[in-house]
Amino acid sequence: MNGATVAAPEGVQQAITELLKRGLDEKVFGAVLVPARVPAGDSFAWLLVRDSAVLDEAQPLPPVMSVQGARAIYRFARRGVTGKVAAVLRPCEVRATVELAKLKQVEIDGLVLISMDCPGAVPLKAYVDDPQQGDADFEKLLNGDQTPARDICKVCHLFSRPASDLHFATLGSDNGQASIVAGSDQGRAVLKKLGIAEESSLDAWERAVAERQEQRQQARAEAQATLRQKIAGPDKLLETLSQCINCHVCRSVCPICYCRQCYFESQAVLMPPENILARARRKGGMRLPTDTLLFHVGRMSHMSLSCVSCGACEDACPSSIPVAQLFSLVGDATQKQFDYVAGRSVTEPLPTITYKEDELPDLVAPYVETYSGREAAS
Amino acid sequence: MSNGFEPKILYILCSWCGTGGAETASAHGLRYPENVRIYRVNCTGSLPAVHVLRALVEGADGVAVSGCHPGDCHFETGNYHARRRVANLKTILNTLDLGDDRLWFRFVAHGEGRRFVDTATEFSDHIAELGPNPLTARRDT
Repeated sequence: MNGATVAAPEGVQQAITELLKRGLDEKVFGAVLVPARVPAGDSFAWLLVRDSAVLDEAQPLPPVMSVQGARAIYRFARRGVTGKVAAVLRPCEVRATVELAKLKQVEIDGLVLISMDCPGAVPLKAYVDDPQQGDADFEKLLNGDQTPARDICKVCHLFSRPASDLHFATLGSDNGQASIVAGSDQGRAVLKKLGIAEESSLDAWERAVAERQEQRQQARAEAQATLRQKIAGPDKLLETLSQCINCHVCRSVCPICYCRQCYFESQAVLMPPENILARARRKGGMRLPTDTLLFHVGRMSHMSLSCVSCGACEDACPSSIPVAQLFSLVGDATQKQFDYVAGRSVTEPLPTITYKEDELPDLVAPYVETYSGREAAS
Repeated sequence: MSNGFEPKILYILCSWCGTGGAETASAHGLRYPENVRIYRVNCTGSLPAVHVLRALVEGADGVAVSGCHPGDCHFETGNYHARRRVANLKTILNTLDLGDDRLWFRFVAHGEGRRFVDTATEFSDHIAELGPNPLTARRDT
């Protein structure tokens, strides 16, 4: 596999910005979607850029994930875009975009997805509180020290090589250099139009990615085993969720939760008072608002098959519940049973719309032809 | 029941095969436990996962789902989708240790009255052995 080596003396951010500028100037891209620091300086927001001079403000790889990129794309590319729009995304944002495309919420054809080897992100709250410390922390992440990263980023094994059109490879290469890897025909066409030749070997990068992937996979398995000890079972799970304030912000920032009318905010969950009074009578008392556990477990049943472990929910949770770790634990399990990885490929069908005639042999309760009942047996 | 516990069971049946099994059972005078409440849906493939979860969180000790045998679905593929959906639910419940063995899935055809009654009885006995669902007594769900 070959890639194109580009100079990046001031880091990969600069290399990406250069490519975007050339793309805009040479009309390869009609517009560019890229994160930029907000004027106040304490966070980052998405900017849809059409003038390459504005790209000086861009920060293609920001220290935080303020708005999940797929949500930004969903806001304007739901019905497709005219011309080519390049979007610079972290790998988890690419995966979420791919999932949304498969859920028919994003028209992916007009998009050129550009990604990079992700060093992780620092927690949004910590960054907003102290942007200077946040920038210093992100510098540590770029240098390979994972301590200040978000918990979900520390165990992310899909930090590289998403299903993007162009990928900036930095792992395993000398400082001051990056490689552009074309992941699709569209990506190759963009490189060709820009006159960038793919002729350097990517072996060092591939080795470095595989090595880190293995480490992270191991760390992920360990972290999930520890988490499961902490949250499994009705008592422990309800203890974990007891701080929930039912704000549903985890849902509203989730890139996968695209529904305009969420079931859990619909009339369907608004029970008449008699119903709630009856439940309170049966249990002796009833926590209000009701259905905290149902909201979280129900949301898992709706979106865990497409969960990309991006951590937006955990960043947003005002009660610091480890929502992302909880959902990615469940998401990994549900995706594994159908041999599916959310966002791996645009062509792989969603597990909910496909089936095999002969599958899940252990699921169906075996029928005992002569079941005579426990009472009859005794 | 020997331990004095009579479980509340929700038995979700599709309109075409599952319910048909119940009709055949009644035509033959077969009996199933009275603590099993039947809930009829058009097709098990149209059963929202949240309904199963709501039952398990707010009152039922067990939920069983029965639809047509593979290849028999009135809507051709609803039962395959239902099987995937139930598998997904069981995986979620298993991962969170919320009792995935309180959820059963078994195909029952229109003519299989005996199989319907056996499933209801067997499931009821199975849940009675497991004991009450701890979630139903929690005030903070």
